[in-house]
Order: sequence, then structure tokens, then C-alpha cells
Amino acid sequence: MKTRLFVLLFIVAFQTHAQLSDFEHINFRKADSAAMACKDEGLSNLPELAYKLTSNLDTDVERFRAIYLWVCSNIANDYSLYQKNKRKRYKYKNDSIKLNAWNTRLKKEIFRKLLKQKRTICTGYAYILQELSKMANLNCKIVHGFGRTSMTDVEKLDAPNHSWNVIQLNGKWYLCDPTWASGIPNPETNEFEFQYNDGMFLTNPKLFAVNHFPIDDRWMLLKENKPTFDEFLNAPVIYGKAYTNLTGHDAPKKMHHIIQKNEKVVFKYQLHKSVEEDDIKFLIDNGYHNKKIKPTSTLIENENLTLEHLFDTKGFYDVHLYIGEDLISTYTVKVKS
Amino acid sequence: MKTLTMKRIAQTLGVISIVMIAAVISNPLYAQTQVTASATAVGQQMTIKGKVSDDKGPLPGVNIVLKGSKVGAITDGKGEFTFPKALSSGDILVFSFLGYEKQEVKIDSNTTFINLVLSTDLVEIMGAVSTDKPYKSKRSKN
Repeated sequence: MKTRLFVLLFIVAFQTHAQLSDFEHINFRKADSAAMACKDEGLSNLPELAYKLTSNLDTDVERFRAIYLWVCSNIANDYSLYQKNKRKRYKYKNDSIKLNAWNTRLKKEIFRKLLKQKRTICTGYAYILQELSKMANLNCKIVHGFGRTSMTDVEKLDAPNHSWNVIQLNGKWYLCDPTWASGIPNPETNEFEFQYNDGMFLTNPKLFAVNHFPIDDRWMLLKENKPTFDEFLNAPVIYGKAYTNLTGHDAPKKMHHIIQKNEKVVFKYQLHKSVEEDDIKFLIDNGYHNKKIKPTSTLIENENLTLEHLFDTKGFYDVHLYIGEDLISTYTVKVKS
Repeated sequence: MKTLTMKRIAQTLGVISIVMIAAVISNPLYAQTQVTASATAVGQQMTIKGKVSDDKGPLPGVNIVLKGSKVGAITDGKGEFTFPKALSSGDILVFSFLGYEKQEVKIDSNTTFINLVLSTDLVEIMGAVSTDKPYKSKRSKN
């Protein structure tokens, strides 16, 4: 009986954590080189592109991987179009007729740009990933919802602003975000820089839910502990690099903290790969200067990382977690005397 | 007791052999009809032409592919195409164009011209951009 319970527990635990690790036995080198071989292909013949990307691959996950990597490394994010759309959507948020008209106009522009310049904004990524997948007989869908970054004004986040995808592999659904995986636009020059982030491929749903909130909560792919919209808005800011370093962000659940002097804040994470204790630092900014320091205590047990930090001076701090050079997450702490 | 089970086994064997003989006899007959069916299909290889449009008029640049192959065509400025390979009944052509719903057309023995209207895909457009810029609290200057 005891062993049976143990096995059951193991299965449950495995189910919730296993995502990309479901495919640990598969080497994506072949799929990745199929994507690279199609580097100069255009979008004018989608069926042929889908065929070229997938016809030499044996499994669905490899076929999807080749399509996904191609989309992420060949489609550029159009920052100016994104800004224009954001302005219009905000302006027309209470006028469905005007919003619809804008959407129709934008759609034409989007598909023209996508076809001619291979530039788009996130729905374009999600759409092209879905279409190429369909042509390879893969069940991939677009998910619409809310995405949060360090630049998101949560006060104004009252309409969906982001799209990503779910893919069904061997009967199970997985999450990915091709827009955020493709790279980062430089907001000053509007130049998009390709910088593929592998952490957004078949991501653990628990981590994904920290900064993705789907309109249809079924696509959270979480059976329990689904965050509410308020919890999502109050969650800490996590960055792209969180996805390459972590599989889970467990504590704190909130971004903003008010504590008494000499009180501790506890941080809990699940690591994607092993890290050195010395690589874990907080960058603490009081508005005038900042310093990079080691947490008061650091505990690494297997893939669990637990940090504690004691704040001994009154003030208001932005607290950024770094692993090596990678910016992972941000919290604010107000310390009262 | 023993003879009874022996009898049973013999009976079952008998039934099995009848079924097998029946299968062997009926199979060639079935195959015969199939051969003639495919023979007529082979005899009917067709060159397919067509025109693709949307609710506003002809659609140039639409991809047409024979399902499961790389053979394909693209519609010209008038939305028209001639498929480069002769097709037989049962073949499926896949029509696709960015921003429009994908459609499949099955060729039957009467198909010569395909007139197809593609409908636009319903997509809500939005986009949030990823960034590496560290979050910065707004502070009141005092």
C-alpha cells in the first residue's frame, strides 16, 4: 500500500513538473538544423516551407520544434507597429465598432508586412506558428490573453495585449511563446534584435502563469492553484532570463512588500540547471544608488533554491534577483522603522 | 470426459477451417473488382484549372498543393491557376494564403474547374513585447 501511494505521488509530482523534460530522450539537433537549413525561405509558400521543415523528422515534437525555431529565428518583431496598435487599442477600448474597424485595417497591414518583410507583432508569430503546424498535421492553437513585462503598466492592463500558443504532443498540451522567445526590440532605436530564448519552449505552466494570463483559463494548463487575475497583476516581474534559469517561481507571490526594519523576506525558486551559490546576487536600488550584494542566506537543495534577505535600514527598495549576469525577477520592499 | 473435449476441439477446428476457406475464396473476387476500379481511375487523369477569390474579388498568390506532396501551383494576377500535374479522383488539393482559412478540395471524376472562395481568418491582433529593461519604481521627488 505504502509503495503504491509512493508511486502515485511520484506520478503526480512528475506530471506537474515534467514539461520539456517529457522529451529528455530526444535530441533536437536534427530539428534545429532543419530550421537553420530553411533560413532564407520566405512565407509565400507555406505548405512547401512546412514540408521542408518537417519531412525528414520522425516525431511530432521534433517537427514542432523545427517549425517553432524557424518562426522564432526568422520573424522579426515590429516595435513601431506594436506601439501604434497599443495606442489604438487603448483609445478604442470602449468603442467596439472603431476597434473592429482598426482591427480589420491592421490585419491587412499585418499580413502584408508578414509576407513581404517577415516582420510582425505577437499575434503574427502565434498565427504563423499555428498555420505551419497545421500543415504538418500538428494540433497547435493560438491563445489570447495578458502578458506582463517590466514595462507593463498594470493600472492600464484592462484589455488583452498578448498572444501565444499551445501545442498537443502525444495527447498532452504544452505552452510556448514564440514572440518573447524570438528576441528583444531596442526601444530607443526600434531595431529588433534576434536573441532566441529556449526557455519559452514547452515551458512549465507554473512558471508561465507568472506573466501570462489567458482569457480562457483552461489554457493555463494548471489543474490546481490557478492564479486569479488580481494575483497575476500583483505577481513579481519576471524577465526572459527567468525562463532559461528557472522552472518555477514559488515565493514571494507578490511584487510589492511592506515590512518592519530587521524583518526578513523569503524567496523560493525551482532551478532549471545547477548554479553556484556565489552567482546569486540581489541588486538593491534605493532610488539614489544601488549595490549588488549576496542574500543574507542562500540554500540550494537539488533544484530548490531558497533565499532569505534581511532589510536593516529604513527605505524603499527595488530588489532585482540576478543569477550570474542574468536578470531574473524584481520586487519592491518598503522598510518601515 | 476426454472424448467430449476432443469432440469440441474438432468442432472448433471445423468452424475455423470453414471461415478460412471462405476468406480465401472471397478474397480474390474482391481483389478483382478493386483492380477494375483503380483501372478506370488511372484512365481518368485530369488537368485541373481553377480560380480563387475572396469576398472582394480574385486572389493572387494563393498556394495550391497536392496533399502529401510538394507539387503545387500559385494563382496568378487574375486569381487563376492550372495545376502542373494531372490528378485523379480522390486526390486532395490544399489551398492556403496568409490571413485566410485553409481549405481542402477533393477531386472527383467530374472535377475540371475549381471555383473557390476563401474566407478571412478571424484573428484578433495584439502584441506585447518582451524586454530586458529592469523595472524601476516611480518615486516622488522630495
